[in-house]
Amino acid sequence: MKRGILYYTRIYFKIIAQDIKSKMSYRADFIISMIGMIATNLAGAVSFWIIFQNFPTVQGWNFYEMIFLYGFSLISATPAQCMFDNNWDLRYKVFSGDFIKYCVRPINIFFYYMSEISDVKGLGQFAFGIASVVFAWIKLELRVSVLSILLFIVAAVSASLFVIAILNVAACTCFWIMNSFFALSLSNTLRDYAKYPITIFNPILRFLFTFIIPIGFMSFYPSQIFLRPENVPIISWFTPVFGIIFFYISYKIWMKGALAYNGTGS
Amino acid sequence: MEPIIELKNVSKEFKILNRHEGVKGSIKDLFSRDYKIVNAVNDISMTINKGEIIGYLGPNGAGKSTTIKMMTGVLEPSSGEILCNGVIPYKKRSENAQNIGVVFGQRSQLWWALPVVESFKILKDIYQVPDKDYNDMMELYSSIVDMENLLHKPVRQMSLGQRTLCDILAAFIHNPAVVFLDEPTIGLDVAMKAKIRELVKTLNHEKNTTVILTTHDMGDVDALCKRIVIIDKGKMLFDNDIEHLSELFGAYRTLILSLNKKGTKCDEEHMQKLSDDVLSLLSEEFSDTSAFSLSFADDKTEILIDESKTSVVKVLNAVQKKYKIYDMHLQDISTESVIRKIYEGGI
Repeated sequence: MKRGILYYTRIYFKIIAQDIKSKMSYRADFIISMIGMIATNLAGAVSFWIIFQNFPTVQGWNFYEMIFLYGFSLISATPAQCMFDNNWDLRYKVFSGDFIKYCVRPINIFFYYMSEISDVKGLGQFAFGIASVVFAWIKLELRVSVLSILLFIVAAVSASLFVIAILNVAACTCFWIMNSFFALSLSNTLRDYAKYPITIFNPILRFLFTFIIPIGFMSFYPSQIFLRPENVPIISWFTPVFGIIFFYISYKIWMKGALAYNGTGS
Repeated sequence: MEPIIELKNVSKEFKILNRHEGVKGSIKDLFSRDYKIVNAVNDISMTINKGEIIGYLGPNGAGKSTTIKMMTGVLEPSSGEILCNGVIPYKKRSENAQNIGVVFGQRSQLWWALPVVESFKILKDIYQVPDKDYNDMMELYSSIVDMENLLHKPVRQMSLGQRTLCDILAAFIHNPAVVFLDEPTIGLDVAMKAKIRELVKTLNHEKNTTVILTTHDMGDVDALCKRIVIIDKGKMLFDNDIEHLSELFGAYRTLILSLNKKGTKCDEEHMQKLSDDVLSLLSEEFSDTSAFSLSFADDKTEILIDESKTSVVKVLNAVQKKYKIYDMHLQDISTESVIRKIYEGGI
């Protein structure tokens, strides 16, 4: 029996549909966490605003450009938040031995594990990101065309692959080390760095954040295509290719851990 | 009989770091390459036939889980061969998974937030079960258990018993050739245990599914298994039908007699004297005194008889020559006590 992409898509949507249906029955939970999400992001934006009350530009980046970067980073973080959130629970499942249940189904372990949890709360963050980008787009008087919108979608999807990749790698460290929480929280901290122009860092960090822990691609490099259309760094155009490569590597590492997993006694 | 799982000289070794004590020790451990090899499973061979229910027993840490993990394809054996349905499980994990069902007691595999019936439907898609087979299976299920009020309940809201029941149903949904039940009745009440046993028995009978059951509850074993396999410290101790288990220690039965008139004061001193008297009487009658041993509990005298050496009737005859027997009772040695003896190292 062959299990192709159609098979997986069908199962994925079936699980998601059921999951959303069941989540809707907890309306209060849904609304409160949505408000929390928006408040968190609002606070982030306010801190930007405070900074720019004191400094008109940060290394040549003005307030609206920074809002663009910020919004873009929120958008690119959304798929990781919505579809790969189960990564955060991986260490508990591995520690308790519950992870074994994912190993006895005739489907891809990574898929089965990730499909189990979907978090619609991430959509609040997405809405906030879109609003920020649109606001900045208007204020900066950037061009609006079919091409630029298409480019934006491709850039955002590609950037999201980096966020997912880093989350995958951080989460799957638990297959080898006991306390992987610091790796996860580090990945979260790094994601915050993605909101700033990478040019504010020194060359060593800049290299690190481009090729090793590619947070530069989460927002800064792809945003250049829209913010500085006359002066786009070549590396920005590589965002989709690098995104796929980094995602694939993270998937491979994750699977290596999962297949080497031997559970705990029971 | 058609073999469905074959294990040939299967062993599994784990490399474990030799840990040192104390703070100094743990710093040492950081750099240590001092590993010891632990044989979790040591040279196990067995053939399991289609339709069998096998009790796979052993004390905690005996290597049961490791064996199960190897048969399900989660672990690769260090040496030896495993064939499950003609597939090498650890080489073709996915293909093997299509042919098996697994239930881990207390670890539900159903989608936590979804009603059971939705979980079943997702499983139907995952295993690509044709509509007709699925409907037939659901019909069979509803004829065995009362599912109506379970089907639409989210798993999260279920009791442990209901959840286990649903997990077992979910494991059979794609009509697998083999189902592994890992301590399915752990933590359940008596009524639920009986229900689960009945369900497994019926499904095994209806679908001719091979069931491999690990448990610490001898009630499960007595109710379900014809054949049992016992391992300890990774080595196989016993693999035979359950009737042969008691023969491991000879064919013992306990004869329990009331030899006291009602109202007699039965203190310890009196009972001790009585059993000594009975023993000397039996010693006169029988040349082989190792055939029986005496003890007492409350006002009853208990004679443990080795039936390979003498018979219960002969002993009874001998006793009644001198004593009046007011009541008697014959007790087979229980599976539980035999297993306990094995675990405690009696073999």
